[in-house]
Amino acid sequence: MPDNENKIREGLLAYKKEKKNQKWKYIMEAAAALLVFLILWQLAVISGMVSSRTLPAPTTLVMTFIDKLTSTVPDGNTLGTNILASLQVALTGFVLATVIGVPLGLIMGWYKGADKFVGPIFELLRPVPPIAWIPLIVVFFGIGLQAKAVIIFLGVFVSNVINAYTGIKLTKRTYIDVAKTFGASDFETFMKVGIPYSMPMLFTGLKTSLGSAWSTLVAAEMLAAKAGLGNMLQIGRNLGRPDIVILGMVTIGVLGAIMGGILSGVEKKFLRWKLDD
Amino acid sequence: MFQNEDAKLSIIRKIVYAALPFLALLLLVIFYNYAVTKLPNVLPTGTGLYERAVSTFTKPIKKINLIGHVLTSLKRVLIALCFAWAFGIVFGVAIGWSKTLKATFGTIFEMIRPIPPIAWIPLIVMAFGIGETSKIILVFIGGVIPVIMNTQGGIRLVEKEYIDVGRLYKANTWQMLTEIVMPTAFPSIFAGIRTSVSTGWTVVLAAEMMGSDVGIGSLVTRGWNAGDMALVIVSIICIGIVGFILSFLLNKFERIVCPWNR
Repeated sequence: MPDNENKIREGLLAYKKEKKNQKWKYIMEAAAALLVFLILWQLAVISGMVSSRTLPAPTTLVMTFIDKLTSTVPDGNTLGTNILASLQVALTGFVLATVIGVPLGLIMGWYKGADKFVGPIFELLRPVPPIAWIPLIVVFFGIGLQAKAVIIFLGVFVSNVINAYTGIKLTKRTYIDVAKTFGASDFETFMKVGIPYSMPMLFTGLKTSLGSAWSTLVAAEMLAAKAGLGNMLQIGRNLGRPDIVILGMVTIGVLGAIMGGILSGVEKKFLRWKLDD
Repeated sequence: MFQNEDAKLSIIRKIVYAALPFLALLLLVIFYNYAVTKLPNVLPTGTGLYERAVSTFTKPIKKINLIGHVLTSLKRVLIALCFAWAFGIVFGVAIGWSKTLKATFGTIFEMIRPIPPIAWIPLIVMAFGIGETSKIILVFIGGVIPVIMNTQGGIRLVEKEYIDVGRLYKANTWQMLTEIVMPTAFPSIFAGIRTSVSTGWTVVLAAEMMGSDVGIGSLVTRGWNAGDMALVIVSIICIGIVGFILSFLLNKFERIVCPWNR
């Protein structure tokens, strides 16, 4: 039935075209919305509806951005230096907390003795937001890189342990029994069944804790720092420079989104087996 | 004989397991006491902590006792979250349901979303001062994001077949939303509400630490600036207890409203 086949092919083509059109329409609408948003913002500032003392116009922001690439005024560092300072601290804390926290959580979830021993301490630490630790940490470690890395470490560490723990606890009993039936030792089952099974949950947790690390860092830098994006924000506020403040916010947002994107990419690579089924 | 040995072993194991949590807590206490002897001028002793906690009642800070400060913070969170839930669910449904709204308002939301709520503090304070309004706006920003994300995510989980069935029976948009979409999306929305509570609690602390006279977060900064570490630690303990109670209550509540979620 070549006639029928042709019809199907035509239908499929039409469907694909329709899909493509819809995608285009979506992109155009999104672009239009952003444009309208920026124009309204600009107009609101120019017309004086919103004071430029609290909200600078988008064009001013672009100028500040270009200026800040080379200028160290007003917080003593260029934008690049601030970004590097913040990234260095956030990543140091995050990586350390992941390297130590994830294995600990996995072991706690698998071995009952470890759970009983370390569990209560985490139950105590869990409800305290990392920001609340800032004063104590600053008293012990000062306001340098080390202190902030410790604050980030604390926050991420607790949430990583809990996520890894919950993830591995969810391992289906059946899978464990199958592994045991085939003669796997407890450790082998842990490595080959438990850990892979907890991966999806673990990645979800990592993404959340990366976000919280980034936001805790901003708080830490706002409260006590000499460099970094949070410090830039705080100085911008003290000097009444909303353009510096918004530039800082946008940079923080963009970097956060990029880091989240990288982690999602790693997740996709790691968990291809999970996405397939 | 062999079996007996085995039973003995398992009893010993049980006793060890039962003792481990206490051992861990004991170690924590010993470690803290060791830290106190190393830094006697910085860290308060256990009794010092207790006395400081009592003195927040006998000599209230700003004429408000410890519980009053906690309640002030909680009130800020609650007011802001009511707005955040109402707005977040409506907005989330709108951008989850309509492609055009998602392309327009959703895109603008996506641009703003990655900025952590704490990074909004300077801007909001510049615009609204350090009063109640700015704190409520900040908690709103923190709380609304997870609610919007989870609402639109939940709506996307609704199976297409259900919607087709609705169309077949000529349901209008309102009926579709209330009778097909919302019940499916509800557990996800509730998860968003749960996240919004813990985010709200963190954000209010940060906002109070950056500038405020009352509220549990302001006590942390106050103790910090005065070198009164006992007050800082008492406040941290309070913050932890409230955080624990909040998550406990939400757990119970979730069992009631979404019993099918385990």
